[in-house]
Amino acid sequence: MCESSARRRDGEPTPYDVGLAEIAAGRRTVLKLGGAGLVFSSAAAGGALGTDAAAAAGKKLRKTKKRAYVLVVDGCLPEEIDSGLTPNLAGLRDGGFRYSRAASKPIMETIPNHVMMMTGVRPDRSGVPANSIYDRKEKVIRDLDRPRDLKADTIIERMNRRGLRTGTVLSKEYLYGIFGTRATDRWEPRPIVPVSGHAPDIFTMEAALAMLDELDPHLMFVNLGDVDRLGHTDFTGPSGVQAARRLGLIDTDLQVGRFIAALRASGRWEHSMVIVLADHSMDFSRPDRVVSLQGPFEDDPFLAGKFVIADNGGADLVYWTGPDRQREKAVKKMRRIAREVPGVLNCKNPQSSWMRLGPEAGDLVVFCKSGWRFSDPDPVTSNPIPGNHGHPATRPIPFFISGGHPRIPRRKASSKVAHTVDVAPTVADFFGIKGQPRGGYDGRSRL
Amino acid sequence: MTTSSSALPPVDRRTVLATGAAAGLVAAAGTGAAAADDASAKPKAQRYFQHGVASGDPRPKKVIIWTRVTPTPASKPGSGKGPTVDVRWQVAKDKRFRKVVKRGTFTTSAARDHTVKLDVTGLKPATWYFYRFTFDGAHSPVGTTRTAPRARSTPRNLRLGVVSCANLQAGWFSAYRGVAARNDLHAVLHLGDYLYEYAPGQYGMGQDNVDIREHDPAREMVSLSDYRRRHAQYKTDPDLQAAHAKYPWIVTWDDHEVTNDQYDTGAENHDAGEGNYLRRRARAHRAYDEWMPVQLNGTTELGDGDRLYRRLKFGQLAEISMLDLRTYRSEQVGTPVVDPAVSDPDRTITGAKQLRWLKKSLQRRKALWKVIGNPVMITPVTFGSLPGDLLDPINDVTGLLPEDGAPYNVDQWDGYTADRKEVFTFIKDHNVENALFITGDIHSGWACELPYDAGSYPLSGSAGVEFVCSSVTSNNLKDITGTPAGTTSRLVEAAIMAANPYIKYLNFDDHGFSVLDLTAKRAQMDWYVIGDRADKGTSITYETSFRTKTGTNQISRVGRPVA
Repeated sequence: MCESSARRRDGEPTPYDVGLAEIAAGRRTVLKLGGAGLVFSSAAAGGALGTDAAAAAGKKLRKTKKRAYVLVVDGCLPEEIDSGLTPNLAGLRDGGFRYSRAASKPIMETIPNHVMMMTGVRPDRSGVPANSIYDRKEKVIRDLDRPRDLKADTIIERMNRRGLRTGTVLSKEYLYGIFGTRATDRWEPRPIVPVSGHAPDIFTMEAALAMLDELDPHLMFVNLGDVDRLGHTDFTGPSGVQAARRLGLIDTDLQVGRFIAALRASGRWEHSMVIVLADHSMDFSRPDRVVSLQGPFEDDPFLAGKFVIADNGGADLVYWTGPDRQREKAVKKMRRIAREVPGVLNCKNPQSSWMRLGPEAGDLVVFCKSGWRFSDPDPVTSNPIPGNHGHPATRPIPFFISGGHPRIPRRKASSKVAHTVDVAPTVADFFGIKGQPRGGYDGRSRL
Repeated sequence: MTTSSSALPPVDRRTVLATGAAAGLVAAAGTGAAAADDASAKPKAQRYFQHGVASGDPRPKKVIIWTRVTPTPASKPGSGKGPTVDVRWQVAKDKRFRKVVKRGTFTTSAARDHTVKLDVTGLKPATWYFYRFTFDGAHSPVGTTRTAPRARSTPRNLRLGVVSCANLQAGWFSAYRGVAARNDLHAVLHLGDYLYEYAPGQYGMGQDNVDIREHDPAREMVSLSDYRRRHAQYKTDPDLQAAHAKYPWIVTWDDHEVTNDQYDTGAENHDAGEGNYLRRRARAHRAYDEWMPVQLNGTTELGDGDRLYRRLKFGQLAEISMLDLRTYRSEQVGTPVVDPAVSDPDRTITGAKQLRWLKKSLQRRKALWKVIGNPVMITPVTFGSLPGDLLDPINDVTGLLPEDGAPYNVDQWDGYTADRKEVFTFIKDHNVENALFITGDIHSGWACELPYDAGSYPLSGSAGVEFVCSSVTSNNLKDITGTPAGTTSRLVEAAIMAANPYIKYLNFDDHGFSVLDLTAKRAQMDWYVIGDRADKGTSITYETSFRTKTGTNQISRVGRPVA
């Protein structure tokens, strides 16, 4: 689930607390840019920029005028680009290179798909399969919002090691948290909407524009969270009206338009690649379309007290906490019980070739049908919001590449499938960064 | 589709003969038996290959080629007579057959009505080929065909001719002439009612059932010989021959390939006097297998099964799933009484196995466009306030049956709403994108979005898009009411579109064909219409176009056809 209330231990510092501590400790240099008092932190010397040897190796690369911008319109549906509400996004898509069938990867949640974008690898290699997991060591359900949760190398770090500047402008607290201090330059998001835990797009874009003007990183990774956040809480969503979400689309499109205008005005456009995509789409459910597995599992004497469910909105991650020797039997029982619960679409092995979620995802993933949501462990209070994602209904995403650089195809479309995991290899390809992460990319360049 | 008996005299239509003005308009050309009789005076090639050539079911490395040889004058279609003979075949890169890439010999006999059908394998993907057959030193007409692109390729486009409902008695096949005249297609999609079962006088042109040409044999087809002769007769039509020779065809059947309103164990147009229905259907399927360039049960062999539903893939751009909505369906509910059985989950239009297969087709991520070759309409259709005296003719042409303001369509998916709901729910649950139903059957042109919930559309969202081609010749609303084009039909069209806001285009006036063009950005259907069905050389004109952009499940009118 992608809702506001972050899950962490009582008393555990928030990602923002951690960021402030890093700054206070002198590991980051604070910059205040722009008229709105925007705060950025940059890597201290010898930090994110990597070793002298690596920087020397990237000397030629550093001189490049190329710039790459990855703009994530969080939670956007591909058809919304044709809704008439997003003329700037539609113009970018139609003028560039679009992938007409692009998809999020499981779990169709924010954190894992942003991580896939920047790592180019699947969750079984990155360690980040969902927003919310059950941490077996700490025995707590928590968000994957700690920098060390991300175990794979990112394109951000690979570029840093070659002396290229990178920047993150991430509107959501947990994204800020998991990407931590990896980028050369990082926006310290303010203000944060207390309930949603994200910065409104207008502030996010102010930060992106300031970073563009003042820091000019080679790669900028921007998350625009309004469309998603307004979708989650849009109680007109299940009726199809989606009033708040539509307003969000209009505003986010305006913000993207500002960014593109700035690229053109500054002359950067001709050297730029702009990747626009979403991390997942969105589905709406009525209050009576709620699935809760906690009760049915507890009612089974064999399972009772020996499982934990990490609710991810459209997907439940179920963990067997009983004896290992009983795991197989337990998972069979879970499957059988879950399939009988109204609203359940199917059950998947998190280690299957399609899922590739890794051990952090537990023993069983249960997806809900379109128009439903999970609310676990409490069927009423755990997930009251109408807008959710994580299930197969929320796979399709927009994905297009625009920009004025000669390598960007103009007004073309591809029938191939593009995924979030393709972003890192595409950026690497654009900059000519040779080599791949150990084990290779799971995605591929879409240029 | 459902065909009407309302314009016929109140006697058993199987006994009705063409009389009066109708008989006077009957053209002598084209009956299978007559053609065979006249053939003895013709050159050998024309005598041996009277039924043209055809190809079908293109795959990346193979395609079916077909012909029928008439080795002796006695070897008439359906006769069961004639010797076993060897027919040579060649496939070449050039029309002069100097670069022959494949060749072979096919043995045929009266046991298979002297048809020749085989898979040519080992071909190159996305490649045009020429093919021909040779018997006794005489060559058949040369056909051209094209293989499908390789599975992982990303072709720039896929362009298909789209046709359905060709009743030989109702007119000339000018729509096929239009298809054959084009040079920009990759294949032809036929959605069924390739031929009709009726005897002369039973189902012809317009209100009076005028037979522009009479069916052969001059009786309703029931026996294997009947079905073979009827297939043979249709394949003597020069426009149909030209269209077959020009492109590979991808076909499915609707009801009239067997008989009207067929279902799993019977049909409206079948009675006990015509014998066991399943045996009749088996004979019809046998003749279809012999005479059509199609794989039944995944092979070109005869007698190994009659599963027609299958997938054809065109790179990563499109996959076509051809449905069979007749062989496994439950009997239609009674009409015109409202029958809650239309929503009975135990009733089916697809059959359980085919429904599972269809869902797999939809779930596969192999191609951008999930094209469903759909013999009958899936869009829910409700009526607005229509004048009562128009309801019968509408019913005649569409099978849409109004009842107390709560109309439905019992021969189509509207009569099997549980199956439709299951398909649409599956699409929604798995967020299947770009499901595109291409449909025939209803003798009219339609462009529709597919509402998850018709009552709350557009807020409820759309499961996909349906484009429906008109008939080649079979009667439409204008023909049945006998009113001029653009009068009664316009009123009905406006009323239906007003009551069903997801229906964006409806043409009850015209016959013709369509062109479907698929790219990575959009799918566009162009409708072309013919003039007078009774005029062999009638005009063919562009009517309109609609498109759907990828991922939207919405349609809009386009100002011009694809180039």
